[in-house]
Amino acid sequence: MPYRAGERRRKLAAAVLGRDPGPAPRSPEETQPYDVVSGDLLDVSPHLIILETADGEQRRLVIAPWATAWRGGVVAPADLPAGARVVVRALRGGTVAERIWADITRITGVIREVRGRRDLTIELDCGPHRRERSIVVPYRASGRIRVRHPKLEPGYLFDAIGLLDQGTSFAHLPATSQPPYRATAVPPPQMTYGGGQAGISGTAVWADFADLTNLADFADFAEEGIAEGVAYPMLEREDAGCDDTGVSCAGLPYLALGSLLRVRNVCDGRADALPIVACGCLAGRFCDRCLECGTSPRGRIVELAASSYVALGGDLTKGCFNARVGLG
Amino acid sequence: MTVLSTIAAAALPILVVTLALGGVAKTATAGRETSPGALARLGPAVLMPERFARAATYACALVEFALAAGLLVVDHPAARWLPVAFFAVATYVLWDLRRRRPDVGCGCFGDVSDAPVGLRSIGRAAALTAMAALVAAVGVTGLPHVTVETAPWIGGGVALLLALSPEIDEVVSRLRHRAPCEQRPMPPGRALSRLRGSGEWRVHAGSLLADEPSDMWRELCWRFFVFPAQGDAEVVFAVHLSGRRPAVRAVVVGADGRVAATDDRGDASLRESTPVSA
Repeated sequence: MPYRAGERRRKLAAAVLGRDPGPAPRSPEETQPYDVVSGDLLDVSPHLIILETADGEQRRLVIAPWATAWRGGVVAPADLPAGARVVVRALRGGTVAERIWADITRITGVIREVRGRRDLTIELDCGPHRRERSIVVPYRASGRIRVRHPKLEPGYLFDAIGLLDQGTSFAHLPATSQPPYRATAVPPPQMTYGGGQAGISGTAVWADFADLTNLADFADFAEEGIAEGVAYPMLEREDAGCDDTGVSCAGLPYLALGSLLRVRNVCDGRADALPIVACGCLAGRFCDRCLECGTSPRGRIVELAASSYVALGGDLTKGCFNARVGLG
Repeated sequence: MTVLSTIAAAALPILVVTLALGGVAKTATAGRETSPGALARLGPAVLMPERFARAATYACALVEFALAAGLLVVDHPAARWLPVAFFAVATYVLWDLRRRRPDVGCGCFGDVSDAPVGLRSIGRAAALTAMAALVAAVGVTGLPHVTVETAPWIGGGVALLLALSPEIDEVVSRLRHRAPCEQRPMPPGRALSRLRGSGEWRVHAGSLLADEPSDMWRELCWRFFVFPAQGDAEVVFAVHLSGRRPAVRAVVVGADGRVAATDDRGDASLRESTPVSA
C-alpha cells in the first residue's frame, strides 16, 4: 500500500466529509509557538552563533545575555564545539537565541541486552520504525539511571536523555521512571464513557526523528528528513505496516499517518497543529505521568520531533510536558 | 429417591461443563502474558509464591479437566467423590481467601473472575459441592442424557449458578459499555466489504479503474478509500465504522483537486455526524 502525502489525505477527507481542510483557528487562550532553528554549529562566539540548517542555509543568531546552553550539562554558549548538532529556541522571528541544546539525543527503547560492569552498554530495540541502538551508560551517570530504571533486564523499557558524542550515545539523565511491567504487557486503558471529550490530556514527549528509517515512502517527508511532526501510538496496524502499533494506555482514538493533530502545551498555552508522521509504537507502551505543571493523566499521547517539542515550549532536558491533543 | 436421582442426573452435565469451562479459562489466562503479578492475584495461585503461580494455575486447570473426564468415562465411585472433595476444598479456600486476602479474585474462570471473592462466589462453590455430593451419593454414571424430566432441573441448576456468578455483572457491563467506535480496532478488509455492499459503491463502481484502493487510511470512526477513476479523477469513499449497514459517503475529485460531484445529501446533517474533536 503506497502512502500518499499527508496533505493530500487531509484534502480528500475534507472533501468527502464536507469539512474545512485547514487547521482550526487558534483559540484565544492559546499562544504562538516559539521559533526554532536547528542545524549544525559552524561557529560560536559569546554573542553570536552561526548554524547551517538541514537545507544548507546559514543562519546567524544573536545570543541573548540570559541564554543558556546544554551539552551533557549546562555550559556557556561560547564553549560549544563546532560541528555540534544544535537545537535553538529563538525569539524575535528566529534572530535571538535563548536556549541552546547541543548533541542531545533521546534514548527510548526496549532493553535487549546489558553488558559491562562499570560502564554499562545497553542494546535497545527502538521499535520497527527505528534502528536498533547500542548506548553507553557511563559509570558516573549509572546511579542516576539505575535509581529510575531498577530493572535493567531484557524485555523492560528504557527511556533516557543523553549526549551524542562522536557517534556514540551516552545516557545522562533518566527521562522517566521505568514502567514496572514488560514492554509486551502494557496495562489496558481505563475506559471512560459518556460525554464527548473536547481533547485528550496526557504526556507529550520528544524523540529523535532522525532515526526514522522506513518513511521513504511517505512522500511529504522523504526528501528533507523529518523536522517537525508527531509520532502517534494509535494507528491501525494494517495502515502503518507495523505490528506493534495500536497499543496505548491512554485510551486514544485511531488516527492515520497524515492526520493533523492540535497539540497544546497545558503548562504555558502554546499550541500548534502538527501532522502525524510516524508510528509511536514505543510511546504507547509508557503509562507515566508528566509532572511539569501539576500531574497529567497517565499515558503518553504524542511523541514530538525535537524542534516541534521546543517550539511548544518544552525543555529537551526534561523529558515531557503536560499536553492536550485534539484533531485538526 | 426418584426425584433425587433426577436431580443428580441433571447435575452431572452441569458439573462437567463447569469443570471444563473453568479449565479452559484458567489455561487461557495462564498462557497469556498479562501484567506481572496478575496471576498471583487470582484464586489458588495466591497461595503459591509468585514464580509458581503459572504452574499452579496450569495444575488446577489440569485437575479440572481430569475430574470432568473422570465424571464422564470412569465407572469407579472415586471418580465421583473426587469432585466432591475438590469443590469442598475450593469452598474452604474461597472462604479463607475472603478472610485473609480480601483484594484477590477467585480466579475460578481465569482473569474473568478478578472481582474480590464475595459471598456469591463462595455460595457457588458450595452449590457445586452439593451437586457433586448428590451425584456421588446417587452414583450417576455414564454419559449424561437430557430427558424431559431432567431438562427443567438442568435449567434451574444453570440459573442458580448464573445467579451466583459475579462474572455475569462483568460481562453485562462489558456489553453495555463498549469502547467508543474510534477506539475499536477494525480491519480494513471488513470496512472494504461493507463498502462493496453499499449503494454508493454501486453508483461509482462503473467508473473505477482498479479493484483495489490506491490509498486507504482511518481517522476516528471513518475509514477512507481512494480509487483511481476515469479521466484522471479519483473517487474517495468514507465508510463509517459502526453498525452493520454503515453510512457511506463518496465524492469524485478531479485531477485538479476540485470536487467534481458529490452525493446530494444535506450538508448540514453531514457536519453534525462528523465529530472533529478527537
